[in-house]
Amino acid sequence: MSTNTLVLTGTRTNERLGAVLVAAFLGLGLVFMAGFAPAMALHNAAHDFRHSQNFPCH
Amino acid sequence: MIIRLVSAALVAGFLAAVVATGLQLALTSPLIIAAERYETQASADPARLSPASLVVRIHGGHDHGTKDPSVAGGEVAPDWQPGPGLPRMAFTALATLVGGVGYALLLGAVLLACNREPSPETGLRFAIGGFLAVALAPALGLAPELPGMAAAPLADRQFWWVMTALATAMGLYLIAIRRAPITIAGGIVLLVAPHLAGAPETSHAASNLPAAYAAQFAARSLGIAFVFWAVIGLAYGWAWGLFGKARTAHA
Repeated sequence: MSTNTLVLTGTRTNERLGAVLVAAFLGLGLVFMAGFAPAMALHNAAHDFRHSQNFPCH
Repeated sequence: MIIRLVSAALVAGFLAAVVATGLQLALTSPLIIAAERYETQASADPARLSPASLVVRIHGGHDHGTKDPSVAGGEVAPDWQPGPGLPRMAFTALATLVGGVGYALLLGAVLLACNREPSPETGLRFAIGGFLAVALAPALGLAPELPGMAAAPLADRQFWWVMTALATAMGLYLIAIRRAPITIAGGIVLLVAPHLAGAPETSHAASNLPAAYAAQFAARSLGIAFVFWAVIGLAYGWAWGLFGKARTAHA
């Protein structure tokens, strides 16, 4: 019983670490794309959002 | 777990984007478009008149660092930009969606890393932290600006923005989650340090832009950012519970 719980906790911790890393990576990627990406097409598309959300813009 | 996190973040990002897009289109976009009229006016002086400056661009008179100095102004092909009106609104909505889902994923990652079970209450609490870190703290040094307001070089401002957001987030974590006297002291140092170091200097050159526009824009921008984050936090907590229930029901 206690072994089961331990194994379960171990798996959950690993799973949680993986989820945290994947979510953080995806989240940073999306925020970078919307707020910082220097490509002019992306900048122009997201222009009003960047100004409204106070990302440094042009 | 990652599926549940991403699903909840998609729902939260979508709901927040719907609300924030409405607010942006109603409150800030009209000011941005009004400001661009002053910006293009300023750049349309006869000395610099060239075919390119006759085309109304998103940024009339700005040098974005993409201009080739060896090429005379008129010969540079204009960069792609969404057409005025509906396409521009649609791309603003799309960018808000991308940003909202991105913020929601980061919020989910932080909640999980801090070992908090997401609920609307904890979601909102952490979202307020997010608002302080990426909206309010950077805005103290770099006020939300309209097109046409002179500012320091972009790279300096982006660097200061990112550093301030990171330091504020770390400071809030040390103060609100660690809560030991030593970490609270360290957290306060982290909160204050970016502002002591100072944001890149804003130019105080006069601008044709009416000051009332700029003031109104700054206040509205922070208000929208707060609502954006609040909806992300509440909706993330709600959706997390929703997908948890769905999973238990299937099992």
